[in-house]
Amino acid sequence: MAAPKTISIKLKVWRQSNPEAKGEFKTYQATDVSPHMSFLEMLDVVNGDIIKAGDDPIAFDHDCREGICGSCGAVVNGEAHGPKSQVTLCQLHMRSFNDGDEITLEPWRASAFPVVKDLVVDRSAFDRIIAAGGYISVKTGSAPDAHCLPVSKVDADAAFDAAQCIGCGACVAACPNASASLFVGAKVSQFSLLPQGQPERKSRVKKMVWQMDSEGFGNCSNAFACEAACPKGITVDFISRMNREL
Amino acid sequence: MLTSIPSIRKKQIIAVTGVMLFGFLLAHLSGNFLIFKGPEALNAYAQFLHDLGPVLWGMRIGLIAAFVLHMFFTALVVVENVKARKARYAVTKDQGEHRTLLVRLMPYTGVTIFAYLIFHLLDFTFVEKTGFINGVDYGLYGLVVNTLSNPIHGGLYIIAMLAIGVHLAHAMQSVVQTFGFANKCIRPKLVQASMVIGFGIALAYCAIPIYLISCAGSGCLVK
Amino acid sequence: MKLHSNEPDGKLSEKWEKHKFQMKLVNPANKRKVKLIVVGTGLAGASASASLSELGYDVHTFCIHESPRRAHSIAAQGGINAAKNYRNDGDSVYRLFYDTIKGGDFRARESNVHRLAENSVKIIDQCVAQGVPFAREYGGLLDNRSFGGAQVSRTFYAKGQTGQQLLLGAYSAMMKEVNAGGVKLYHSCEMLDLVLVDGKARGIIVRNLRTGELETHAADAVIVATGGYGNVFYLSTNAKQSNVTAAWRCHKRGAFMANPCYTQIHPTCIPVKGDYQSKLTLMSESLRNDGRVWVPKKKDDTRKPSEIPDEERDYYLERKYPSFGNLVPRDIAARNAKEQCDDGKGVSESGLAVYLDFRDAIKRDGRKAVEARYGNLFDMYYQIIDSNPYEEPMVIYPAVHYTMGGLWVDYNLMSNVPGLHVLGEANFSDHGANRLGASALMQGLSDGYFVIPSTIGNYISSTDLPKVSETDKAFEDAKKECQDYIDKLLGIKGSKTVDEFHRELGLVMWDLCGMARDKAGLEEAIKRIRDIRDQFWKDVHVSGEQNNLNQELEKAGRVADYMEFAEQFAIDALHREESCGGHFRTEHQTEEGEAKRDDENFSYVAAWEFKGVGNAPELHKEELVFEEVQPSQRSYK
Repeated sequence: MAAPKTISIKLKVWRQSNPEAKGEFKTYQATDVSPHMSFLEMLDVVNGDIIKAGDDPIAFDHDCREGICGSCGAVVNGEAHGPKSQVTLCQLHMRSFNDGDEITLEPWRASAFPVVKDLVVDRSAFDRIIAAGGYISVKTGSAPDAHCLPVSKVDADAAFDAAQCIGCGACVAACPNASASLFVGAKVSQFSLLPQGQPERKSRVKKMVWQMDSEGFGNCSNAFACEAACPKGITVDFISRMNREL
Repeated sequence: MLTSIPSIRKKQIIAVTGVMLFGFLLAHLSGNFLIFKGPEALNAYAQFLHDLGPVLWGMRIGLIAAFVLHMFFTALVVVENVKARKARYAVTKDQGEHRTLLVRLMPYTGVTIFAYLIFHLLDFTFVEKTGFINGVDYGLYGLVVNTLSNPIHGGLYIIAMLAIGVHLAHAMQSVVQTFGFANKCIRPKLVQASMVIGFGIALAYCAIPIYLISCAGSGCLVK
Repeated sequence: MKLHSNEPDGKLSEKWEKHKFQMKLVNPANKRKVKLIVVGTGLAGASASASLSELGYDVHTFCIHESPRRAHSIAAQGGINAAKNYRNDGDSVYRLFYDTIKGGDFRARESNVHRLAENSVKIIDQCVAQGVPFAREYGGLLDNRSFGGAQVSRTFYAKGQTGQQLLLGAYSAMMKEVNAGGVKLYHSCEMLDLVLVDGKARGIIVRNLRTGELETHAADAVIVATGGYGNVFYLSTNAKQSNVTAAWRCHKRGAFMANPCYTQIHPTCIPVKGDYQSKLTLMSESLRNDGRVWVPKKKDDTRKPSEIPDEERDYYLERKYPSFGNLVPRDIAARNAKEQCDDGKGVSESGLAVYLDFRDAIKRDGRKAVEARYGNLFDMYYQIIDSNPYEEPMVIYPAVHYTMGGLWVDYNLMSNVPGLHVLGEANFSDHGANRLGASALMQGLSDGYFVIPSTIGNYISSTDLPKVSETDKAFEDAKKECQDYIDKLLGIKGSKTVDEFHRELGLVMWDLCGMARDKAGLEEAIKRIRDIRDQFWKDVHVSGEQNNLNQELEKAGRVADYMEFAEQFAIDALHREESCGGHFRTEHQTEEGEAKRDDENFSYVAAWEFKGVGNAPELHKEELVFEEVQPSQRSYK
């Protein structure tokens, strides 16, 4: 039998009107879902119906819809960013689901990421971690010629792999302890791999880890769920490197 | 003061003390294996340890310190972890090759091991080291044989050792990661090695009660 | 009103140096007392915030996102140009300048473009020092590649994520200043109005998107770096939240909007699939370095691409432009794709797509080499289309990508409203009528790192800026206007969603103001835009309330502005009776179908002054003077 052209999905979505509200699951039916739709486009359509019914649409963060801005993200049936590996929610397509599936949609749950509304959470803890030391202190205009500092291709490539982090927070969402180690480890590693990052190497990791701890993230238990959930395929090798750097 | 210890340091303290406890497990196991050699070997070994005097006490204090620190920091970390996710997910699914299961079990296996440890000390440490087999006192050897060949004591022993196996299966490779020496080239091997060593040690320990239970009453234990 | 570029006189190559010397400086001790507002944290906004704070200014930075790192600069894929000439292939500042002027179809200001080319070199140095992991060669030095429209390899890149890496560099430089206390960051805040005091830009009104509260912020100068307006087309490669609101509200307060019709249609995007589609995804132009663009020679050919033999394929770019081949500038590549599809040779279900084929590159260099260059782009394509580009050619179609037009600024990046400075894509300045690939990142960072830190000081020290307070009448009045506007939007309670209106507007824009425009179509567009706008204000349904996170309300405000902006866009396109760069009027083309400029009558910047919604805006012209290069017919044959 040929696959049906469109599918129907039952959605159980976490609705919470504001940070203080209790929140609960509400059920919605998405019909005539094209398998070519992205997950967020499916939500757009559901929201269109909700608005027309006079209700408040589901709030969810999103922006670039091409997997790079790190805005979107929800836990789909227990998996951060849904069942496909190395994609963000916006790049997940409905062809990954079957007709009649029930999908439970929850926000990232971590005390350091309080819910703002529905599926929207506040990830400014990540910004504060970066502010604590996630940079190389070079003032504009004071840089030497770019070729003054050769970097071995291996190190440059590894630094790039670490730098790919989009700050979506899926690592925290997936971690059994809501730890931010992958996020912090990636940034620490990016700079510790590069010659430019050496002068602040020791102090950077201390400051960033300290900030991570004070934001209320959990501890790393080496479960590596973060790596499995990361849409950019960032590896726990960077956590290992951070552990060594501290 | 405690809050000023970075999370990674706490993990490293747990790892270091864990490695010390692992060393103790190995030493204990090698001693235990003398049971297969017979009463004289085991009792002589016990006497040797006893004669170490202050050295033995040093070791004991070190061991207790390792144990306390291990448990204390684990408790600290677990409390932090629970606090880090106050609202739980309605649906959870293991990501990461089901490794999260082993991780989730860590505190439970740890608590199991601790509970059994008390039982174990009551069985063997805080009692008179006498054990009569066929009316003859075989000292510590007799105590071990009599206790572990009892299906309840022996069974609990086996359960505890399996808990140790599960604990070690995650812990061994976790230590390497926590100290920052793991990477994706060696990680698969580490994971395997961790499993093999963890369950290997558990099985080795289990061999003792199994041996004793299967031989109990057959008279083959003492000539 | 005649517009002055305020550029210094003298030799082109010495203008910037000379200007930097002539500009007045602010005493270091006084800088801390100078409060600057920066709106937007993309490449331009973040780099400006970081650099201004390093100089000692009291910087207050606003972004609409929950984190400044999410600005849409992050999505730029291909690379950033710099006249380093590391490849020894004849590049120079002058050549980059020349290519940019020519690529922009001689509709940009020479002095700005030359300064941009000069700064390009320093940008790379700065970014490398920040730890941006650019691609490197085995010797440890930076790698370069050639990029659409250039015959030298001057593009620096970080796989297909150059924008991300540069933005994270600028973001972390800014966060460093946040930590140092020089930058105060306000996230989740949308600028709704510009506040003028004595004719000078002295503050802004923002809506806190979390609480819904309207806030007033006063300062000595305002810097707007809020990106482009491509989303007026609804479907574009821009992020969903990219909008014209900040720029448009500045425009309504008197800032001129320049060349709004100059829109870049990017040739290599993933084609539209259905009416639920929410945005279009760009595939980096770098793909054209190795991919070959073709369509079947036969119309309505339904065979699978692999079944079509080479002699029945038309590699039309290589055929028509033998010297540039697949690397012709974006406007030309895009228009040619449209022509082929209009001619019935388009592929895929919709017939609105052409092939981009890597078969020959894989044969030549091996799959591994191709994977190293484009692996992540191929993955992305696979995610969306569910077809493997290593085995089947990609299907691509042009989509709106970048907008060259924007608020008018002088050489100092200040608009005609004193104190209002505009950086990056939000201004009109450097790309003329068409932007070359890998030049947007360059411009954003040049403006933010190297231009505004110099020019803002001159404005501050040469302007009388009495103290203003957030409780002044001007602020209260502006805030009240914003409140009324929000109340009005929420009060309509009509029957159609904001998205439905936006989509309707977008279709009109794409059909009538898109890749090819003509008089009748543009007049029709203006009529229809007005109709949609009237309908919008009667029948839109904005759900929810103000005092909460309300994404519908956010969208409604932005779409309302697009409704007004779109009309001006069409008016600009209608008035420009010539074809140039991204603006193609079918009445004005050469016999070969290429854009035909009218330098005699249209060699100027069209800066529009707002005269009320629905009223014809007033045109002000800034004549473009070409002293260094002679405008010529662009030829990429």
